[in-house]
Amino acid sequence: MGGTPERILVVDDDAVVRRFVGALLADRGYEVHEAGDGEEAIRLAAPLQPRLILLDLVMPLMDGYAVLGGLKGDPATRKIPVMILSMRDREEDVVKGLDLGAEDYMTKPFGARELLARIRKILDRTW
Amino acid sequence: MGYSAHELLLLFIYGIAGLLGGLTLLIVGNKGWRETRERLNRRRRTVLEPDIFKYIGGKGPEPIRGHMPRPRTRRDLRLTEEILLDASRLVKGGASARITGAFESLGSVSDAVRALGSRRWWKRAEAAEHLGLMRSKQAVESLAVAMNDPISEVRIRSARALGLIRGSTSIRPLVGALADPSRWSAIRVAEILISVGAEAVDELLRAYDTLPHHAKISTLDVLGRIRSHRGADLMRRSVRDAHPDIRARAAHAMGLIGDPGFVDDLVTALGDPEWAVRAMAAKALGRIGGGKAVPRLCEAITDRQWWVRANAGEALRGLGPAGREALIKMLDADDTYARHQAVTQLQEGRIIDEYIADLASPDPGKRAAAISFVEKIISLERVDHLTHEAIEHTQEGVRRTLLDILGQSPKGAS
Repeated sequence: MGGTPERILVVDDDAVVRRFVGALLADRGYEVHEAGDGEEAIRLAAPLQPRLILLDLVMPLMDGYAVLGGLKGDPATRKIPVMILSMRDREEDVVKGLDLGAEDYMTKPFGARELLARIRKILDRTW
Repeated sequence: MGYSAHELLLLFIYGIAGLLGGLTLLIVGNKGWRETRERLNRRRRTVLEPDIFKYIGGKGPEPIRGHMPRPRTRRDLRLTEEILLDASRLVKGGASARITGAFESLGSVSDAVRALGSRRWWKRAEAAEHLGLMRSKQAVESLAVAMNDPISEVRIRSARALGLIRGSTSIRPLVGALADPSRWSAIRVAEILISVGAEAVDELLRAYDTLPHHAKISTLDVLGRIRSHRGADLMRRSVRDAHPDIRARAAHAMGLIGDPGFVDDLVTALGDPEWAVRAMAAKALGRIGGGKAVPRLCEAITDRQWWVRANAGEALRGLGPAGREALIKMLDADDTYARHQAVTQLQEGRIIDEYIADLASPDPGKRAAAISFVEKIISLERVDHLTHEAIEHTQEGVRRTLLDILGQSPKGAS
């Protein structure tokens, strides 16, 4: 990583998940921002221009697929890579997420080191 | 000194009002105290969390205590346990092992094991649930004992906890529970074993021959749903078992496992004297796929039992072009049931719709084939779908042709 910390937006309605993933990432030198729902995520994404968005699927009001659709449909956020981090482990959910434009899909519970490795991989290959 | 009735009434009213006022104050005070305590706990938690999360995500050998502030208060210890329990729901692998290590070194596992002996059943149930999240092998023996608790909630939480801890010593009591229908719901135990996955297979295989009949059936189901190929030999043996329900379950499990090596055994099972075995074998062959089973499934579609015919038809539908051709040929079968089953499957597989669409094809060959096919369906007196399409189809040419064919046919017109 260079001098400027890479910015990551963590989107999850569960505050413990946001804080835990945020702490993991902050400890590795990333600049972490949090959004507690889909609308907040879409609102923050364009001005923040994070290098990656970690997105939960099951959220009230606006689910992760709708957020993903919104992000990929907006020219200002289309290129921001999105990684889904969800409890849903059915094949159709994974396929739907990837089809909608997610870079990667990981299920909860997750391996902390595996999550960090996948994030590193996405950041290395995008932009 | 005596009180008048009026004074007594007033005293009574004041007394009641005072009591109610006192109770209200008590409730408000208690609520305020609880909220303040929760707010302080939340604030304290945000102070403790970063270091604990750092420990969980770390790699080094440093113990959890090195990540906790000094002096360590009871409240900090309780909050640390709370944070670790929350995090244990999120992670697996190395991070999960570090959480287990933290619980063990903080004494939380011993405390929860002690709580399994509480006189209050809900405390025992909560302890069992926490032990599952702690995933410590130190708790296996106590949880195995708790599986005999008089309260079913404690038993089931203990079983789930053992499923989360895994390892052969944890799985053994779960397999044992399959054999005891008086205290356990086989479905719930089976679900726990399925959630354990491949790690449960060896223990299930080891115990199989010692299990009672009903537990053998559950075991075959579990092995099928885990989809482990390690159970292949047992499946082959069980599909030839003396008991028909064991043979049927084994056939079903073979389909779930989906190993093409089972096809010969399942084709043989299509000739079983018991219809349930034949039905399960047909279903399994449909799941496994491959054209090798087509001729025997064509025979099975004429079976005297409806379930066998239906499963054989569905299996043929799932077997791709070979199955589709076989179903079309079945329209000319001597057996009425087989012909009707073939129509049902061709309709559900939308193959009839493909022919209907070809009625308006610019290719005369396709059109002629479609007309001949539709006439054959009409001759079998299965005109409901055709009539519906004659009215609802999106292409006018198709609707007109279908109406013409249906009108010409005495069976269609009727």
